[in-house]
Amino acid sequence: MEAPQSIEATGTTIDDAIARGLEALNVTRNDVDILILAAEAGRTARVRLTRKQPGAVPGAAPVEAKPVTSEESAIAQRLLKAVLERMKYKVQIIARDPAELNGYDEQDEPTLVLDIRGNELSVLIGRRGETLDSLQYLMRLLVAKELGHYLHVVLDVESYKAHRAQTLKQLAQRMAERVATTHKPAALEPMPANERRIVHLALRDHAQVRTESVGLGENRKVTIIPQSYKR
Amino acid sequence: MKELVEYIVKGLVDHPEEVTVAETRRGGDVALQLHVAADDMGRVIGKGGKVANALRSLLRAMAAKDNLRVTLDID
Repeated sequence: MEAPQSIEATGTTIDDAIARGLEALNVTRNDVDILILAAEAGRTARVRLTRKQPGAVPGAAPVEAKPVTSEESAIAQRLLKAVLERMKYKVQIIARDPAELNGYDEQDEPTLVLDIRGNELSVLIGRRGETLDSLQYLMRLLVAKELGHYLHVVLDVESYKAHRAQTLKQLAQRMAERVATTHKPAALEPMPANERRIVHLALRDHAQVRTESVGLGENRKVTIIPQSYKR
Repeated sequence: MKELVEYIVKGLVDHPEEVTVAETRRGGDVALQLHVAADDMGRVIGKGGKVANALRSLLRAMAAKDNLRVTLDID
């Protein structure tokens, strides 16, 4: 009989349920995707463990990721320029090396970074980068429709994202030092998911603190907690 | 603002020839009425209204420069 791909397991706590499930599948935690099905306090915890597919997903052929072609880049730039002209912006568009984003938007797929340069572009970034996100979302749809396939386009304005990533990493370190000294948890300002991710990653290997996201939607923020802190 | 909506929407739909945008202005209020082919509605609204909301977000950014308020309705 073939080993099951996916099982449900129960336990007194989530960790307990996961441990039992792993045991039943005879695998380690890294080998499975974990979905928590029930987790109310005082009730039996229930989780579903699904084996990760070894290597690539069947169907997604093991093709080497092709770099962005100059033709794709030119088409994306033309479309972006056309949109910004209709927003009455006179801008310059520069394709940048994704490495210059400092990890603001990290993807395995080939990424085209287009930096928009010009005067008075802060409105284009918007509150917490909202307007820029909207523009980026619509540009990805336009580019995909024109090319006939998805291209991971990242838009930046005057290197805003590149600087923001740097600032967030420094902020994370500074706050972590403070939390390590005071032994009191500290919450950062609410941030969008990709920015919270930068903070989590920056402090992943920190010996004295751990990080958690708390709050919902717009108010979700990273909390930095001393390792010694009791839940 | 009409031109912006027209350009983006025509680039998203299967029937660009059926895209029309009407713009009416009353004082500081700009009302945009977007019409697309019935089977393009999903593309223009998007999952959970994501496309329509992204369009509105760009329009707001544009309108703010001139102290205008803008609404976008789709039919």
